[in-house]
Amino acid sequence: MTGQPVYYINGIGILSPQKTFDNDVFLAELSSYHENVLTCVTPEFKNYINPIQLRRLSRMLRIGLTAATICLRDAKVQTPQGIITGTGYGFLDETAKFLRELLEQHEKQLTPTYFMQSTYNALSGLIALSVKCMGYNNAYVSRGLAFENVLDDAMLKLIETPDANYLVGAFDEAAEVQFLASTRASHFKTEQIHNLDLFNTTTKGSIQGEGAAFFMLSGKASDTTWCALHDMQFVYNPVDIAEVKTSIASFLKKNSISIQDIDLWIDGASGDIEHDRMMNDLAASTFKDIFHTRFKHLCGESCTASSFALWLGASILRHQQVPVAIKVHTEKHPAQLNTILIVNQYMNKNFSFFLLKQV
Amino acid sequence: MSQRVFITGYGIITSLGKNAAENLQSLIDRKAGYGALEVLDTIHRATLHACEVKITDRQLFESLNIATDTGYTRTTLLGLTALMEAIGMAGLTEQEVRNSGLLSATTNGGIREFEKYYYELMDPAQRGDFVRFTDTANPGEHCERLADFVGIKKYIGTISTACSSSANTLMQGAQLIRHKKLDRVICGGAEALSKFTVNGFNSLMILDTEHCRPFDSTRKGLNLGEGAAYIVLESEQEVERSGRKPIAELKGYGNANDAFHQTASSPDGKGAFIAMEQALAMAGIQPSAVNYINAHGTATENNDLSEGLGIQRLFDNHVPDFSSTKPYTGHTLAAAGSVEAIYCIMALQHQMIWPNLNFENAMPELSITPVQQLKRNASLTNVLSNSFGFGGNTSSLLLASV
Repeated sequence: MTGQPVYYINGIGILSPQKTFDNDVFLAELSSYHENVLTCVTPEFKNYINPIQLRRLSRMLRIGLTAATICLRDAKVQTPQGIITGTGYGFLDETAKFLRELLEQHEKQLTPTYFMQSTYNALSGLIALSVKCMGYNNAYVSRGLAFENVLDDAMLKLIETPDANYLVGAFDEAAEVQFLASTRASHFKTEQIHNLDLFNTTTKGSIQGEGAAFFMLSGKASDTTWCALHDMQFVYNPVDIAEVKTSIASFLKKNSISIQDIDLWIDGASGDIEHDRMMNDLAASTFKDIFHTRFKHLCGESCTASSFALWLGASILRHQQVPVAIKVHTEKHPAQLNTILIVNQYMNKNFSFFLLKQV
Repeated sequence: MSQRVFITGYGIITSLGKNAAENLQSLIDRKAGYGALEVLDTIHRATLHACEVKITDRQLFESLNIATDTGYTRTTLLGLTALMEAIGMAGLTEQEVRNSGLLSATTNGGIREFEKYYYELMDPAQRGDFVRFTDTANPGEHCERLADFVGIKKYIGTISTACSSSANTLMQGAQLIRHKKLDRVICGGAEALSKFTVNGFNSLMILDTEHCRPFDSTRKGLNLGEGAAYIVLESEQEVERSGRKPIAELKGYGNANDAFHQTASSPDGKGAFIAMEQALAMAGIQPSAVNYINAHGTATENNDLSEGLGIQRLFDNHVPDFSSTKPYTGHTLAAAGSVEAIYCIMALQHQMIWPNLNFENAMPELSITPVQQLKRNASLTNVLSNSFGFGGNTSSLLLASV
């Protein structure tokens, strides 16, 4: 084999705490939040889901199916060869509803709806059912690496069948249960902040986010291609910043590019004074001369926030535009926007790198 | 060039026993793990019997030599028990473990502990020992615990596709090896019984209040079970390098979606058919070369009909010996795929076919009946292991002797 295989993002559908469901508009207006929980800005679901089906679906299944539908339409693909989803906490609201009923009713007279809709593969199964896709179907639930596992799976499949289309995506909801349980562990800030001020805070914890993002991944470009995903790699539980730096260096080397070739990098800082230490170190060292952007003040922190970053990177390349809200400094963006590197972290334990290029 | 994928070790804990040897002996002795729930605290203890691992959390902590205040869930403890055995059987060095991948499956991680401390966890003002279970509603939590305990760094992932979950970890592990992303991946799943699971399945009305009877016309549903099972997959190259003796080969696999109903299989078993067909095609063998099928065979009305018809369609008039081992272990959900893959490996190693317990009456819709007595000297070369789940997931693995 000569060279590395290249993957193309031929369609996107994303619902997030920003108005992102319309692919023609790129962060033209920003949604701001005065609570530490950011929830999805949603379109009219009935434009994407038939009314009989709609009534039976939980909020997150509606959000997920809508994002998947937007992606399929954007890519002009009716039935993909496979569907793979990733999530950190899955349908935790439905899980909690069933759990509360179970505890309150002392395990008596329970109905199965919440239980059925709490299954982690409920969305991948629902999409398969909706588009009659009998092909490959899988669901990853690997905390901060779930979306990365999804991409690994699809990318390996596309080596064997480059013409195939894989609908890959991620979702996580801002579940109250998770917020309450982990605020005590300082996963979320206890003082109320404004989301757009996230990176001006100096406390522990982030803000809770959510979203669903789907991408049509193929080994072949089409007339709907947004950009190329050259590579993705993750690092689990690095012992120190040196390990992260070494991993980034070998990732770039594997892809035959140098730091100077990167026009813009997107960093996965979460506004947590401790968890952001490695990101801040990278910004001051490895990437100090590279145009710097951040995103978690827009979408909040979640296990699969890297899917928002992938949409963001793909949008920058497509629109050749860098929204002011994501710039760390105020300087003008570089003349060329050809190569983007995403460096995400979750809880300072799950790190991942994505290399995107303009086609 | 694509790498061949070999099995060099495995570890298992189910209601049949806490290691591979005990599981094997129970299979031979027709000793099912079915009975009243004793360890799990639920109002259904006496009425909804299940296949429970009769070892308390405290005993699991002790046998693993872990302090009881570390916040390990029962899912993690069962997982570690099986994982340590798998690593031991393969004889992996510390360095080899570190450079392995770990793919683990679960249907709901540590929900058993989360439900136990739910009210305390939901009150941010409360303090106490329960805080160690803060993140146990996260399904990936157990996998990170397992990886950190044994020192796996290279690659991790958690899969949850309901009852086919751990079969999918084996497929993904094999894919990572075939494309040389990893030399070695430990794959499997862990599942602890919980009130959440027992009541969830009970609300779906698919639990039999008696011992389950797969492929029997009087079947009324499944029995739940718990356990964990992990399998060490290694590349051909790594087997040659290390000189380890492969136990079996993972020769083919298939994954499809029934795309029929949210929680039910299609009546004609199309998804099952596609998954099995793909597994055979990948292994490059004809249906006639398959000697045994370890069926998903949950004993629900829906599954056994759908699976049975799928099998008949693929194998036509030459259906090989088949059985479901679910009456032995109950349905261990996310762990079922790897538990049963290990039973298939044991079948290949010992040339035995496990009986389908409790079968008496043939299903009128099918022309086939499962193996009812233990078969010895069975001449097995290729065996299929089926795992199907909610959401239409169908997975099939083709394991071969070496």
